[in-house]
Formats: sequence, C-alpha cells, structure tokens
Amino acid sequence: MLHIERIREEIITLGHRAAQDRQTRRQALVLAQVWLDEAVEAGQLRAHLAPLLAAADRAATGAGALRWHGGIPCSPGKINRQRPTEDIPLTDLVLIGVDGSQIYPDRHALILYYLLQVGALIFRYDGNTPTVHAREWLRYDEADLYDDQGYLIGGETLGMERMVKEIEVLADLVEQERRSTANPVFALSDGPLLWPYVERGNRAGTHFTAYLGALGKVQKAGGIPVGYVDRPGGRPLLELLWAGRLAPEELVARIEENPLKMLSDDELMLEVLAPGAWTPWYTRATATNRRHAGDGQEIWFCYANLGTQHSPAIARIEVPAWAAGQDVAMTALQAALSHQGEALDGYPYVLARAHEEALVTTQDKTMLEQAIQRELFSAGILAQPSNKARQKLLLGRK
Amino acid sequence: MTTTAQTITIGNVLRADIRGFVVASRIPEPEVPTFGTFVSAPVQQGRTEVIGLVYNISLQDDPFLRNLAVTVTPGDPRSEEIIKDQRENRVIPVEIAVVSVGYRLNETSAYVYGFPPQPPMVLNSITVCDEDAIRSITASPDFLRTLLDNRDVPTDELIPAALLRAAQLRPEARRDFLLSAGRYLARYLGRDPIRLERILARIDQE
Repeated sequence: MLHIERIREEIITLGHRAAQDRQTRRQALVLAQVWLDEAVEAGQLRAHLAPLLAAADRAATGAGALRWHGGIPCSPGKINRQRPTEDIPLTDLVLIGVDGSQIYPDRHALILYYLLQVGALIFRYDGNTPTVHAREWLRYDEADLYDDQGYLIGGETLGMERMVKEIEVLADLVEQERRSTANPVFALSDGPLLWPYVERGNRAGTHFTAYLGALGKVQKAGGIPVGYVDRPGGRPLLELLWAGRLAPEELVARIEENPLKMLSDDELMLEVLAPGAWTPWYTRATATNRRHAGDGQEIWFCYANLGTQHSPAIARIEVPAWAAGQDVAMTALQAALSHQGEALDGYPYVLARAHEEALVTTQDKTMLEQAIQRELFSAGILAQPSNKARQKLLLGRK
Repeated sequence: MTTTAQTITIGNVLRADIRGFVVASRIPEPEVPTFGTFVSAPVQQGRTEVIGLVYNISLQDDPFLRNLAVTVTPGDPRSEEIIKDQRENRVIPVEIAVVSVGYRLNETSAYVYGFPPQPPMVLNSITVCDEDAIRSITASPDFLRTLLDNRDVPTDELIPAALLRAAQLRPEARRDFLLSAGRYLARYLGRDPIRLERILARIDQE
C-alpha cells in the first residue's frame, strides 16, 4: 500500500519542476531551430567533424575517453532540407512488417521455460488480402536458460534472441516473396536496425554475429531491411548541431557542453518536419555501427513525419547504407510508409498487425502453462508454482 | 468450426442462464446464423438438449477497428488491402444471443416446451438445428409459450421469424401450419389485440 500523504511535498515539487523545465525546453527548442536553419552544408560539416571523429576513433581503440554519438550527415546539401512524399502509384512493391513478443523465464513458475513468438504481415499492394505469418520457439534446455555464470537469462538476452529471430523470419519471408515478384520488397521491423545492445559476454557476441548474418540474408534475398522507431529518443542531430557551432580548436574540449542536452531529436522534428516529409540521411560513428560496416551493413537513419498537420507522428527510419543510396526504392518506401500511417494515426498498419499476430496474451500464457502441466502430469510429475507466485496471484486479485 | 450436411457448429457458450445463453463465435460471415435460427446446446452432461432461437447478433469492436473506422474508405483502392485483411484475416468475434424455447430429452427423443432444467455450461458447443429437428420442435405451437411471456427479447419480431422458418419446411401444409399457430396466438393474446395484430401482420407481410 502506498501512503501518498507522506510524499505530498515531493509531488508538489515535481509539479513546479515540470513547469520550470517546460519553459527551459521551449527556449532550447527555439535555439535548436535557429541552429538547424543556420547549419552549413553537409560536406562542410563532415570536414568540420574530422578532429572529433578522429578522437572518437582513438577512444574506440582504448586511446582516449571521448564518446560522441552525434549524427554525421550523409546526404549532400543543407541538413535542414526536407524531402516530401512523392505522389507515386503504390502498386509495384511488397511491404513485410514483423514484430515479436515473449514469455520471460520465471523461476517461480511451475517449470522453467521461455517462449518467443514472431508475427508478420505481408502487404503486397496488389489488391489482394495480405498474408499473416507467425512462428514460435519454446526453450527449456538448461543451456538456453542460464548464462555463462549460471544465472537465469534476463530480458536483455531474450531481447537479443528475439531481434535475431525477427530478422531471420524477415529473411525467409523476403526469399519466399522473391520467388513470385520482381518488385521491391521492404522488410520492416518494429525497432532500430542498428544493434542496440552492448557486447557483453559470449552470448551477446554470438547474437550480434547472427543478427548481422540475418541482415545479409535479407539483402541476398533481394529485400531491403528497414527499422522503424516510433517516438525515437536520443539526440544525434542536436549533438551534430552543437558540434557545428563549436570552433575547430574547441570541438573536442567542449563537445560535452551541449546546451540542448535536455531535448531529444523528436522534439525538434515535431516543430520543423512537415507531414509526410523525411530529413536527409545521417550515420553514427559508434563501435556497433563500425561492426555493422565491417559486414557491409552500416546503418543510416533519417527522421520522418508520418502524421498530419494537427497530429504529427515522428519516427526514425533506419536502413543499411547500401539501401539508402537507392533513390527509387527510398521514394517508394516513403510513399508506402505514408500510406501505412494514414490508417492508424501515423503508425504503419503492417507493424500494428504484425504486433497483433506476435502478441502472447495472458490467456495464451495460461493455456500454454495448462498444456505443459498436463504433459508433466502424464509423465508422473506434479508441478506447482512457487509459494511466492501463488501468494502474488492471490494478492493480485484484490 | 465443423460443418456437416445439415448441422453447423457455430461457437461456444460464453454465458448462460435458464432463459437463454450467449455464444461467442469466430465463424466467417456466410456461416453466421440469422435472426430466428433454431439452435441447440447440450445440458445435463448430454442427457438433454436445450433448444433456442437466435434473437441478437452483435459484432465486437476493438481499438484497432475503432481507429480504422474513421480512416479507411470502402471502395477506395488505398483502403482495399486493409479492409480485406480486417475482414478475412482478423475474424472479428461475434456474440450470438439465444432465447430458450424448450428442450429435448435425448433418451426418449421427446420435446418439452418451457425452460430447460439447467443452462448449458460455458464453452459447450452450439449447433444449428437440422430441418427434421425444427419440424419436430415446431410440431406443436406450444414452443411459442416461453416467447410470448418473455418481455426481455424482441419476441414480436422473433415469433413471426420462427413461424415462417418452420412453415417453409412444410411446403404441403404451410397454410394449415400458420393457421394453427395464428389460432394459438389469438387464444394466448386475447387480451392484447394490438400485439396480436402486430405479430400476425408481420407474418402476413411475407
């Protein structure tokens, strides 16, 4: 039970703080817009960033402490340029959306296991009914359940395996589609395409390698992998804007003093990006992206507004560098994503449906555990959840 | 859901009481039963079959549909695949409400008019009655009795629908069947001529 009266003072302070922060953010947003409009051309900016990137390189090899996660402009021209959606017929392309869900291993459950499920929707833009697809993996071997130190695996490890499975399913579906169409096939996943996990331990390295392999399979099958990040956090563009304001000699020394730190890129995009428009492409010089680049899968990103004037919906679109350079394909992808967003307030329809197909509901979990319990019973094992789990169940019913 | 030459299993009981029950179904549109369809469900561990009439069919919505309802346009090529996906891949749950009219004792095959001794249990399967069963149930106009006393369902529409469905199965004796039912209604509704007229007029329209 929570005694709200005991934290009343803190709640009042929180309210005041939020009002002050709002004012500060508003001023920072105005400044960010000015900096974006005044920013020099992409080529000049890249040249300006050279000492910073060299310092970041040295840090990556252990010869320094600088970590810079800013965006590096990849497209020519001014960085405040916007590319509107072209009015092209949506007939000759395939969009495959994929998403995953899981049941985490629970040491208080009647038996240790975890489950991954990946759902997909294949939307062909040919007037026919889209095709649904789902695949699941039930893991119960000790080698899958425990890490190298003997601890039960956590959400991060499961998240890695799920991400690998999503891209592997996409690779299979692209290959399948490719047999019947010569049209562009976009393989859209709900989340970043750039591997978001820090490499820690053997298992993380294995998953990352498998992930890069799966991205390669999508490419080999003739598909274009696309990551879709709804309401993206992070501020690579704001970091770039700050770096652009610094004189070359103070670039390394003052890079961490960004006065726009309290903002994120999507807040700026909400102010400036027109409905349907995409920003130019950027990349990031992180260790993870270098590893991607080593496998020919360096990730570029841009921001997109899939919403309307009254209800903007900012997303970060991530694609491999080899795909970002395909102008015709990117124009088609932009038009397709705009169309997909029209139906669901700026969120792609294929991803919403893929999520629905992937979702393991509480009811599904109950049915699965009943089936497991029946099997255990017929094998002469009477499995019970832990006392703690039973107590929680009873208290949860209050 | 299984289909035989004459019977279709339409779904499972969601909630029930003596007077009727609600069935949850995910069958495709052509197989959804119509208003006035005779259906049966097992009760008392299969010793008895409750017989009822479908009096309401409701499609359940969800947040997805509520959103799409204002953004997609039937007939617009930009909405074509989305509408097909919603209709064919996402089978929307249908709730079918049934009112009890009697029950069948499976041991003797006799029909009893009135409320069953027990409601059907949840998750029991509901089946559309075949033509022979409908002829047997409606052999006596007494099957109308529980309907005439029921004010919770639209019986003035349901009674004509059920009578016309049963009459259709008696091409040789259609007129006699309807006349006999009309006399029964006249006796039962002698003190409510307006209601009687409304029901008879509805039958006469067909």
